[in-house]
Amino acid sequence: MKIEKNKKAIIPLSKRERKRYILFEILNAEVAEKDFYFGFWIDLLSFFGSKGLAEINPKIVLFKGNKAIVKCRRGKEIDLIAGTAFIQKIRNKKIIINPLLTSGTIKTLKEYAKIE
Amino acid sequence: MDIVYTQPLKELLQVSTYFKEQIIVLVTNEKDEKVAKQNSFTPCYLVSDKTPESDIQKLSSKKKAVVGGSVKANELAVRLKADYLLQPSNEKQFFDLGLAQKLCNNNTVVVLMFEELLKANSFERHQYWKNYIELVRYCKMKNVKFVVASGTKDPLLLRPPKVRESLAVLLGLPQGKAKEYLEEELK
Repeated sequence: MKIEKNKKAIIPLSKRERKRYILFEILNAEVAEKDFYFGFWIDLLSFFGSKGLAEINPKIVLFKGNKAIVKCRRGKEIDLIAGTAFIQKIRNKKIIINPLLTSGTIKTLKEYAKIE
Repeated sequence: MDIVYTQPLKELLQVSTYFKEQIIVLVTNEKDEKVAKQNSFTPCYLVSDKTPESDIQKLSSKKKAVVGGSVKANELAVRLKADYLLQPSNEKQFFDLGLAQKLCNNNTVVVLMFEELLKANSFERHQYWKNYIELVRYCKMKNVKFVVASGTKDPLLLRPPKVRESLAVLLGLPQGKAKEYLEEELK
């Protein structure tokens, strides 16, 4: 018997969930990409809880040098920025996370941060 | 505008110039006040219910901040016509509409010191948060200025203005007002 693969339905662009990208800058210490992923999640989760974090739906899209681009649901940017206030340390290094710019496209943020 | 406790000035200067923000340093004596002024920070005297009456009278023409957190301390801020009321509530609520009206008449700014919230464990934090949501609601009703400040002794715990603005919005303040109160320049 042949197993037929069902094609994944493509959601039209207009019906997809809207998202926003935020450019963050990490001040004071150099942090490895993996450590940032872990440290970023843990403090946000403790503040928002599982439900709150699921609603924000943050995803780290790009991490280069001391800058990171994080994707989130549109309308939840403020929540995400406020949540970063609770991130004090990553791997025992004290850091300050500074939000630089919010945009609807990664391109704008890349241009702003001069990331290729 | 950000409010911090007296701390290593060199590091504080570095961080504050990066954020391009006016910093108010809470001082308790004239020596600290002079140092703050020399480094172009705005000094503000910290007054509590333990401060002698004679010392309070000397501060009549200077900026004053009162650490709240009890009915007595909050009333002291009203009596002194303090410029800032820091932490009027904690795990317990000490803020009501009557107090908000009095603070509005005195043009006092209500301040949430963020480090207090940061230090609290998750259970205390939810109580803080709940009380501050109520407090912001009262402030909105009576047009009392509300600001989230870093309120720290460690320069690395200073938070960028955008983040503090977002915290105020999360507590229920309209975004325009949160920005306006934070960007208010002191003379």
